[in-house]
Amino acid sequence: MATYFLRRLLLGLTTLVVITGFVYGLARNMPGTPLTVQLGETDPSRKINPEDQERLRKIYGLDKSWPVGYAQWLGNLLQGDLGRSISRKQPVTQLIAERIGPSFLISGTSLLLTWLISVPLGLYASARSGRFDERASSLLLYVLYSFPTFVAALFLQIIFAVWLRGTAWELPLFGMSDLPADAPWLARVGDVARHAILPVTCQTYVSLAYDSRFIKANLEEAVRQDYIRTARAKGAGPWRVLVHHAFRNTLIPLVTLLGLSLPALIGGSVIIEQIFTWPGMGRLFFESIRERDYPTIMGLTLMFSVLTLLGQLLADMLYCVVDPRVSLD
Amino acid sequence: MEGSMTPTQPMRSGGFWAEAWRRYRRRPLALAALVFVGWLAVVALFAPAIAGTKPVLCRYKGHLYAPCLAFFDRRLEPAVFARDRFRGTYPQNLKEKDPDSWAIWPLFFQDPYRAVRENEWPGRPANPARDEGHPSASHPFGTDQYGVDVLAKMVHGTTVALLVGFVSMGLAGTIGIVIGALGGYCGGWVDMVTSRFTEIVMCIPTLVLILALTAIIEKPSIWKTMAIIGATGWTGIARLTRGEFLRLRQSEFVMAARAAGAGPVRIMLRHILPNALAPILVPITFGIASAILTESALSFLGFGPPPPSASWGSLLNDARSNYSMWWLVVFPGLAIFLTVLSYNLIGEGLQEATDPRLREARK
Repeated sequence: MATYFLRRLLLGLTTLVVITGFVYGLARNMPGTPLTVQLGETDPSRKINPEDQERLRKIYGLDKSWPVGYAQWLGNLLQGDLGRSISRKQPVTQLIAERIGPSFLISGTSLLLTWLISVPLGLYASARSGRFDERASSLLLYVLYSFPTFVAALFLQIIFAVWLRGTAWELPLFGMSDLPADAPWLARVGDVARHAILPVTCQTYVSLAYDSRFIKANLEEAVRQDYIRTARAKGAGPWRVLVHHAFRNTLIPLVTLLGLSLPALIGGSVIIEQIFTWPGMGRLFFESIRERDYPTIMGLTLMFSVLTLLGQLLADMLYCVVDPRVSLD
Repeated sequence: MEGSMTPTQPMRSGGFWAEAWRRYRRRPLALAALVFVGWLAVVALFAPAIAGTKPVLCRYKGHLYAPCLAFFDRRLEPAVFARDRFRGTYPQNLKEKDPDSWAIWPLFFQDPYRAVRENEWPGRPANPARDEGHPSASHPFGTDQYGVDVLAKMVHGTTVALLVGFVSMGLAGTIGIVIGALGGYCGGWVDMVTSRFTEIVMCIPTLVLILALTAIIEKPSIWKTMAIIGATGWTGIARLTRGEFLRLRQSEFVMAARAAGAGPVRIMLRHILPNALAPILVPITFGIASAILTESALSFLGFGPPPPSASWGSLLNDARSNYSMWWLVVFPGLAIFLTVLSYNLIGEGLQEATDPRLREARK
């Protein structure tokens, strides 16, 4: 077990160094620097004069080549310092900390909803496999699965924010909250919830379709096994066979799926957050690429990669928990 | 050769692919999806003849020209029309400058890149601009804020949607198969290196990589976007290919080929790959669907190729500046959805038709 974790850790660290180095190289080679992109585009008169630019370049370490810059970034990282955002004049850790909450609000709610609905749906689909109602609902889910999120988001926005404007069903177009910070606590919660309905719906329906199909496929594989026939033969009822005997044995692939959804859980979704102008991590990443904000790009890349690696590790560990036959060594 | 070995000719079975096709044909939805993609290909190929403002074929000053080809590439526009100052408007100019000229016009006289002006086609009013352009008889899918016809844009965008899928997955498939085949067949340190490399690329969140790569290119074009999508989407294919090659290199026919003196490249390409192709084609088909999704999402986010490119996603991006123009969302949105759905259905049909495990389950 210990050697397994040591190997995993070393491999993970190498992966992280390669990924961050690669992304740092990419970021530094994008046309424009944070200093030119940010000020020059908004207002030509605010262009920094050459001497100031040189001074700022020195301060942010942009005068060095990217390998040197990367080595410095890595050195600072070892001391727990992710640097300061160039365009937002804030420490990157603070920026990320501000954005984790909103991202988690959307993806956490969505993940919970997905699992609460897709497990019963998958059980139902395999219990009534081949009947008309199951085939109709499976087809519907399949169609939903192919429906692009951003198209669905636009459809929903048009329906709920434009066509239903002025009715009780109207939902806000974008943003997280309209109320000022000093509004009553309960009103603010309600307001955020109203803003969250559309993004959560968009985030949920695709994974719902995917997960319930996945559960059904695994269940269908399981019900063909010999132990199911045994369970039926000894007189267990159909639901007991399905839930207790078949479903329990499909937990392994499900757990892997759960582990792999970890990065999306905290990292948020770039597209959905961008459409609904939701102040989460995905949007932060999108903006930091636009602004050439190297420290923020790096901080977020590091976080996404760490989460992906952790998710894989978590999936492997949960694998051992649900299936004692699997050994990590 | 077969005949000389067996004295009585047995009835030939259809072979693996014929068998797979027979099974695929039984699925009406998968078949409908195939027909739909075929139809899209026809639309893409004949786009300038379906919607455009340039004659498909015309006779001008004694010569035959096909100016509509300019929609595929600007350089294909015959030089004589530039010399005679046509400035892209054909109907009036043709008649004025050569009364004997004739032309075969596209089915639908609308331009995907600009609004048609008043009387450009004799007697027809100018395209409505801004939120005036509701779908109507003359503009079935409406017009965008500059008055450009949405149907014409979508017809020409079909090319992009199809090319994105095939080009990027062609690239991803090639990279994935080469890396997976090398790792799976050679084993040892080659496998170690290729597997670690695949794992590392897998750990980079795809959208992060695509956005970073898109930001780095100096002159964005649709081809570069396709290359980026292809260069980031090969990991699944590589893993699957590696698994198939690992399994098949132990098989007897490979041993026989090796005994007959075939080299490693020949064994990989001629003996193993055809046998591993069916399972590899499945993720490639699903990959086409996701490549189309990624491209339209990028264009939608404003990270796609710059105008004039008539990608379906960029139409959606236009809709975001004016939400009351619902037709800018509904029609391109449905087009993207139907195309993605079709590729997913084809992929699933292929999987069910070629996977022996699923086949047993059906019986």
